[in-house]
Amino acid sequence: MGEDRVEWIIFVVLGTWLILSALGTVFVKSPIHVILFFLSTLLAMAAIFLVLGAELLAGIQLIIYAVAIVVFYVLVITTIPWEKIKRFEGIYKSELMVASPILFILFLLMSYMVVKGEFAQPVGLVKDNVKDLGKELFTSYLFPFEVASVILLVAMIGAILLGRKEE
Amino acid sequence: MDIMKAYIILSIALFLIGFLGVIVRKNLITILVSTELMLNGINLALVAADKVLGRVDGQIFAFFVLTVAAAEVAVGLGLVISIFRLKGYEASHEISQLRD
Repeated sequence: MGEDRVEWIIFVVLGTWLILSALGTVFVKSPIHVILFFLSTLLAMAAIFLVLGAELLAGIQLIIYAVAIVVFYVLVITTIPWEKIKRFEGIYKSELMVASPILFILFLLMSYMVVKGEFAQPVGLVKDNVKDLGKELFTSYLFPFEVASVILLVAMIGAILLGRKEE
Repeated sequence: MDIMKAYIILSIALFLIGFLGVIVRKNLITILVSTELMLNGINLALVAADKVLGRVDGQIFAFFVLTVAAAEVAVGLGLVISIFRLKGYEASHEISQLRD
């Protein structure tokens, strides 16, 4: 019972942190503050991954998301002149009025399904997360792993093509 | 209630918050950030399912989601920059055509 309660306390703390930062990401006005709230969301996600026993994924979340992607966003934001984007900061009010009740009802429906549903039976036991993950990734999922490198190469070429100046 | 169901519900909430951000934000860059929130919600659901089942397949899928997220950020921000360069600095409702 005691261990269970500790799990719930950790869940409530991390979940509140995650949801508050996600709401901040959506509703805060300035793009720099949006990026900071997004960084806070990513840190909360990494902590939740650690709690759920996905250590390798937590580290990769920190390295790829919290370093590479966030720095990419900040670099792009610094190239944009501030006085010109003041005009379209913020959110659409009428769309918010229409969308938020619909999405809330959708959330209630999906949560009801999850609460009423049953989980599948466990089929295995992960002893060493990183070892099992690496073994599975380089045996069963070797071909998708190689294809992922092609996806990254294509994305790199596309970004260079899109980002260069027209002659 | 099982705590893993609470994690699944948390991932649904994160996904829908990101979806709301895609709908309501005016700035193109913050729309991209909201899609990242949606991808994070999916990752959380995959990892929670892994914890329930005692497997690692869901985490491998989460790796591929991360790969797609990195590719999406590179191409998406390239598109945003080229839209800004082509048409000036406009809100998302003013961009209604792809050509000049």
